[in-house]
Amino acid sequence: MSHDDAAPARMERAVLARAHDIRCVYGGGEEDFTAVDGVSLELGEGEILGLAGESGCGKTTLGNALAMIATPPLYVLSGTLEIDGESIDLSTLSVADLKRHRPYRGRTVSMLPQGAMNSISPTLRIRSLVHDVMRAHDPRVSRDEALDLARDRLKMLEMPVRVLDSYAHQLSGGMKQRMITVISTLQNPRLLIADEPTSALDVSSQRMLVEMLLAMVEHRIMSGVVFVTHDLPVLSQVSDRLAIMSAGRIVETGPTRRLVEQPEHDYTRTLLSSVLDPSRETWERGRRRAGLDAGAAGPAAPAAPAPEKEVGAR
Amino acid sequence: MTLGRYIARKSGWYLVALVAAVSLNFLLPRLVPGNPVDVIVSNLARGGSVTGEQQKAIYEGFVAEFGLDAPLWQQFLTYLGKVFSGDLGTSFANYPASVNDLIGQALPWSIAVQLPAVLIGWIAGNLVGAIAAFRGGNWDRSVFTSALFLSAMPYYCLSILLLYGFAVVAGIFPVGGAYSLGLTPEFSVEFLWDAVSYYWLPFLSLVVVFIGGQAVGMRSMAIYELGGDYVNYARAMGIRDNRITQYIFRNAMLPQITGLALAIGTLVGGALITELVFSYPGVGTLLFNAITQNDYPVIQAVTLIITVAVLVANFLVEIAYGIIDPRIRAASAGEK
Repeated sequence: MSHDDAAPARMERAVLARAHDIRCVYGGGEEDFTAVDGVSLELGEGEILGLAGESGCGKTTLGNALAMIATPPLYVLSGTLEIDGESIDLSTLSVADLKRHRPYRGRTVSMLPQGAMNSISPTLRIRSLVHDVMRAHDPRVSRDEALDLARDRLKMLEMPVRVLDSYAHQLSGGMKQRMITVISTLQNPRLLIADEPTSALDVSSQRMLVEMLLAMVEHRIMSGVVFVTHDLPVLSQVSDRLAIMSAGRIVETGPTRRLVEQPEHDYTRTLLSSVLDPSRETWERGRRRAGLDAGAAGPAAPAAPAPEKEVGAR
Repeated sequence: MTLGRYIARKSGWYLVALVAAVSLNFLLPRLVPGNPVDVIVSNLARGGSVTGEQQKAIYEGFVAEFGLDAPLWQQFLTYLGKVFSGDLGTSFANYPASVNDLIGQALPWSIAVQLPAVLIGWIAGNLVGAIAAFRGGNWDRSVFTSALFLSAMPYYCLSILLLYGFAVVAGIFPVGGAYSLGLTPEFSVEFLWDAVSYYWLPFLSLVVVFIGGQAVGMRSMAIYELGGDYVNYARAMGIRDNRITQYIFRNAMLPQITGLALAIGTLVGGALITELVFSYPGVGTLLFNAITQNDYPVIQAVTLIITVAVLVANFLVEIAYGIIDPRIRAASAGEK
């Protein structure tokens, strides 16, 4: 991706969604723990927003609040999501709120979960889940219609159609994650919350998933993505803009290239400096510190530059 | 792995288990010191009216009839031949009544009590446990406490409590037996109406304990499944709660089906004692009387029937397990 182009590109985009003043707590004990403290976000049409921060900073909690799937002990105390000309109250203080949010889930805002490995019931064929997801928002959808849509989507993404007849245990981790990605986007959601979708994958599966997500955005299958991860190298490849989160708050936002190269907030600088650099220079420095021969065979060359996403093509 | 191959594989293993059970059933009574015919003859001689010559003739007659003078392997082959042709032998204690007739009279009473207890107990227990897990709160707390109390209670203990409360004190149900004196078992409204009043207490004492055990297990499994990633994902996709409940119920049921196989064995054992408490003329009472009278053919036959019943129940449960959970079929075939 040409990050230099990202900021101007964003300026041209219409606003897809605005999240305002989201506050979340984990309750049930003697004291509530505030996990998200008054976060507001804005996302443009066709934009991928990277949400980064260390473990426990509230990224996943914010993602759950946006996807309207917070269940006790997590409570969304306040917050609104403006999308498609509608302002959705995100608060979940009663069971009725959970029911109120159901029609938005999967269609207006969809979720690509962190635990995709176990996201499919072990006794359910993929095709049954596909039908259930399609029927969730339109009970008239027949099994054949649902499967036709899924087949078209799989062909478009160059994935094997026979996967639909499988059970979860018959798929590899990478294939399961990609299949969940397809199912999460079957309803052409306006906004996709991708919660650490690459964290449990090997590098080649990570790459396949990232390329697939980019292709989906390119094909306008979803209108925007909030990509939650602590993996900054992945985010730098995927996202148009970054939001850095710490202790339940957004401390800095900006175009990805600008934020990576010229971070303004101390926490962002600390976070970026913590990323391991697999270059020859770093490797040699580590060997010298350990008192080993720095001249031994090591990484031949600095890591290849990240593949660029063609923002203009979208 | 296809379901057919899975069933064939299981059938093979259960056939091996059946042969082992039949062999043990033959051997165990013969390992007991003494000869069963001695007991019969000594009982006859106790009255003093049988002479020594007569005793010898009776002894030899019984030994020849029961085939006890043949070598053990020959006895085993004869036994196998008779078992597989449906001939369970002649009762020692009720000579010359055939064991088939005695079992034929007792078995329907036991099946009438145990089969509904297993089916109703399993379905009701699982439903109660699942509902308690979904609803939570006070409903869950009260159901869990009650179910735990009931499941921990031995069958005979509840039998005695029910007998005392409903028969002795309240007088709502008869104290013991299966039908009123003067009636003969037959398919008539009068007889069935009378038998039902005797049926309730043995049935309740089995089914209530069984419901408790199943409810405790199902509740724990359902609570575990409720927190599963696939439940959260289904919710995130907007799938309706009633459909998600079906996912949960199906997955939570898997250990419950295994539990059913084990519970059937326990229930059959518990039912034997329950029948004694209520003087119910089932297989349990028949077995108890046979043990007190050293009636080995009846003991062998009852043990064999119980063994076969438990094996068949376990076999059916394993087949159901394989149908419900594809991972079990895959694991059996060594697939990924």
